[in-house]
Amino acid sequence: MIREEPGDLIQGTLEMLILKALARGPLHGYAVAVWIEQTSQQVLKVEEGALYPALHRLQLRGLLQAEWGASENNRRAKFYQLTPEGKKRMNAESHRWARLSAAVAFVMQAS
Amino acid sequence: MAFKAFLLRLKQLFKPSATQREIAEELEFHQTLLRERLSRQGVPAQELNTVTTRVFGSSSRWQERLTELWQFRALENFLRDLTFTARLLRKSPGFTAVALLTLALGVGANTAVFSLINGLLLRPLPVPQAEQLAVLRMEEGGPEPEYEFCTPFFRSLEARHEVFSDVFAYNPDILQVRGRSGNENVHGMLVSGQFFQALQTPPLKGRYLTPEDDRRGGSPAGLSVVITEQFWETWFDRAPDVVGRKLIIANVPFTVVGVMPKRFIGADLTQRPQIFAPLSVDPIIDAPRNHIDDGINAWWLTVGARLQPGATLAQADASLAAISSAILRQASSDPNFISDKEKGHFHFAAEPGSKGFTYARLLFRQPLLAMFLMCAGTLLLACLNLASLLMARSAARARELATRLAIGATRRRLIQQLLIESMVIAVLGTAAGLVVAPLVSGSLAALLMSGNSGGVQLDTSLDARVFAFAAIVAVVSALLIGLLPALGATAGDLNDHMRGAQQTRQPHERLRILPRVLLASEVALALVVVIGAGLLATSLVHLYRSGIGFDPRGLVNIAFNMDKQQLEGDALMRQYQQLSEGISRQPGVKSVSFQFIVPLSHLGWNGRYAAPGESPQLINMNSVGPDYFATMRIPLYQGREFRWADTSASGAKMILNASAAKLLFPGQDALGQQVVSGGTHTSYEVVAVAGDTKYRSMRAPAPPIGYVPIMQDEQKKPSFHAVVRVDGPQPALASAVRSLAVRLAPDIPAPAFVTMDEVVDDSMSTERMMALLSVFFAGCALLVTAIGLYGTLAYVTARRTSEIGIRTALGAQRTRVLLMVFRENALVALLGTAVGLGAALLASRVLASFLYGTSPRDPWVLLGSVAALTFIASGASLVPALRAARIDPMAAIRCE
Repeated sequence: MIREEPGDLIQGTLEMLILKALARGPLHGYAVAVWIEQTSQQVLKVEEGALYPALHRLQLRGLLQAEWGASENNRRAKFYQLTPEGKKRMNAESHRWARLSAAVAFVMQAS
Repeated sequence: MAFKAFLLRLKQLFKPSATQREIAEELEFHQTLLRERLSRQGVPAQELNTVTTRVFGSSSRWQERLTELWQFRALENFLRDLTFTARLLRKSPGFTAVALLTLALGVGANTAVFSLINGLLLRPLPVPQAEQLAVLRMEEGGPEPEYEFCTPFFRSLEARHEVFSDVFAYNPDILQVRGRSGNENVHGMLVSGQFFQALQTPPLKGRYLTPEDDRRGGSPAGLSVVITEQFWETWFDRAPDVVGRKLIIANVPFTVVGVMPKRFIGADLTQRPQIFAPLSVDPIIDAPRNHIDDGINAWWLTVGARLQPGATLAQADASLAAISSAILRQASSDPNFISDKEKGHFHFAAEPGSKGFTYARLLFRQPLLAMFLMCAGTLLLACLNLASLLMARSAARARELATRLAIGATRRRLIQQLLIESMVIAVLGTAAGLVVAPLVSGSLAALLMSGNSGGVQLDTSLDARVFAFAAIVAVVSALLIGLLPALGATAGDLNDHMRGAQQTRQPHERLRILPRVLLASEVALALVVVIGAGLLATSLVHLYRSGIGFDPRGLVNIAFNMDKQQLEGDALMRQYQQLSEGISRQPGVKSVSFQFIVPLSHLGWNGRYAAPGESPQLINMNSVGPDYFATMRIPLYQGREFRWADTSASGAKMILNASAAKLLFPGQDALGQQVVSGGTHTSYEVVAVAGDTKYRSMRAPAPPIGYVPIMQDEQKKPSFHAVVRVDGPQPALASAVRSLAVRLAPDIPAPAFVTMDEVVDDSMSTERMMALLSVFFAGCALLVTAIGLYGTLAYVTARRTSEIGIRTALGAQRTRVLLMVFRENALVALLGTAVGLGAALLASRVLASFLYGTSPRDPWVLLGSVAALTFIASGASLVPALRAARIDPMAAIRCE
């Protein structure tokens, strides 16, 4: 179980998760947090505020673009969306991760 | 990607509060939703905030992190430093003024001299593919190559196209163009057939001259000329039908076939011809002279070429060397001429010609580079001075800097700020210098070129190269000024700095070594510049005092161009006599005579003459009128002046100067002897022996000269200069002589006036420019050094106020305090002087070739320079020392 310190969830991984969360369409920060928590079946938990430096960094690097819009219950919220570059990065990251985790699992299962 | 971030950050830079607000809103939105979820999950209302914070983290911390992320750190710091610097500079206007002034002077002088160098040595000809151009020269085994060709050589070269697509020649000339009131002198250029093809500049109107036009008698359609846009404007008032109009040049009609655009100036950067005429019309334009028929006796053409596409200069060189011998033999059948040339391994050669050929370049390259060195020295001095001032000032600011270091500023950050300060000073100083530079360079160019008649000009306007140079100067000087003080101020022990500043505990030995080295090198550099200036100025004085042999004060030269009017022979002489009588009747005129060669105008004429039975000697010649020696105030040792009665019929006469008399008749009395011309074998009777005078240039000693009377001149229509001795300035003389000329000789161009003083000054224009500039630099150097010594010592002393106060309170005498402070600088100045003297002894060798009658180690100059510097340095150090001695002990200690 990964606990609150954002340092526990290494930065790169958090960014990868954010990119993955946004792969299906624009979301605001809260929705990203909820999605990560739910899809990981509550295993991955971060201090929710830690999402924002990562989101903004991705925005500054041009992987995300942001727009203010109305949320489900009509509040003003900042929605993030993958840019084409962000999409490319997301694909690259998920390949890398698949290879890496398969390799780690392989090593760990060796007897 | 980095660029996108840059843009995003830039956007927030202009509305930072909006960014803050958005961040806050975004975080708030999340927390609101979180709170709602938590309360749905049954968290009690009073714990809601605590739990939210636990799940979300500290909202203010995230806010800070995000703000930081969006900040444009470098740029914001930069802007903050800039405003801080502006405030600092405004706060100490004295320092700012000195800094800007010294830098503006240094940069201005450097940029001015650089624009001269740029105009003369660096700027390419304004023609397409200038890099394909070459300049041809002749190697004859002498120390210097020859650049002036004769017509036969050129015509042979022109016909060959192995490596050159075009070979061209030109000669700047003065054309007499018929205007509304008689003939007028217009600067022009005789150009060969391939000249325009080679320079590839399309005409504005009509066509340019082709090989067709450059044939004897012109093209079948008649004689053609091409004019420039300026001439089209001034002469034809931009008439649209100018092509096809006639111009009467040298009394012969020419047809204007084209107009060249303003940017086209030909192949010599210093010439501004208005009319281009074919080379083949030289016998008309230069009549009665004929450079073409003179063959191998007239060396008058500058030759250039354009390389075939793909051909290299080395190939061209090889090909030229291969054909040299054939061309030499083709040019003349005179075996003496050929063997003479072959002795020196005569051959043609090519060199890069993208900048064209300019005689001025050969003359001024060395002096300009020497001046540039001196300039750079002065600028370096100004930078060193500012560096030491800044260093002293940053020592006074040590506490501020130390405090900032202590509360967490990085050293890099502080250095950056100090460098920005020096950069602001450098940029402002450079900008000010750039404003002055064109004025300075313009007048320098005029001064430099004044010795060259014939409308020589130098374009010193600012261009990209000058701006690049100024930018480099600004950056380098910013680094020079700022880096040392910045490193010095931020180094060392923090504790020392914190305690430092005003306190007595600070040992005064801590006046660190670096500022002293800076000051000493400043003194050394200043001494080098001052010695250089002293040498050049002394040399100029020696040159002026070297004795011209005549009295130039109150002499006016008036040039009469008689070569294109109708009279000749005795009739023309009668006209000269009438002019002479007319001029001598003008008020204030004491005497009038004529001369063919104006002494010191860099023109000359020589010939071989012999005593009977002896071998001929080369002597300089001049053709002069009656009363010449009295008018010039040249002493006549023996014999008589020429008279109007000395006509060709009365037997050839000659007057020798003392050197010529000694050369031809050593140990004998020359008066009454016969002199025989080596060429024509005419025998001349020596009627007088006159005093020696300078002939072509001031620098050469007075040569042997023979004078013949103008009445016996061999030219058909000789043009003479009237030389008039006047009593004080005679402003009315010019117009009186002009109307006299209009009455007596209506066909000739308006006579040109020049005083003999101007001729003498112009003959030394290089020396005068160098002396003037270097004395100016020396003045700047002394001033800057004084400021540096004074400023630094004043700062240092101010920091020691309390120490000095305590010393005085404990009974130190005021003279001792004074000496103690004074000693600081005396040591530095002494060291600097010693080093500077050594450096000057090494460096002055560079100047040796420019000096006249002055040793580069002239003891008086060295002594005087050291004395001047000592005087300035003492003065600058005495003021702070006196102030220190007057410190009131009570006030000083109370500060503690």
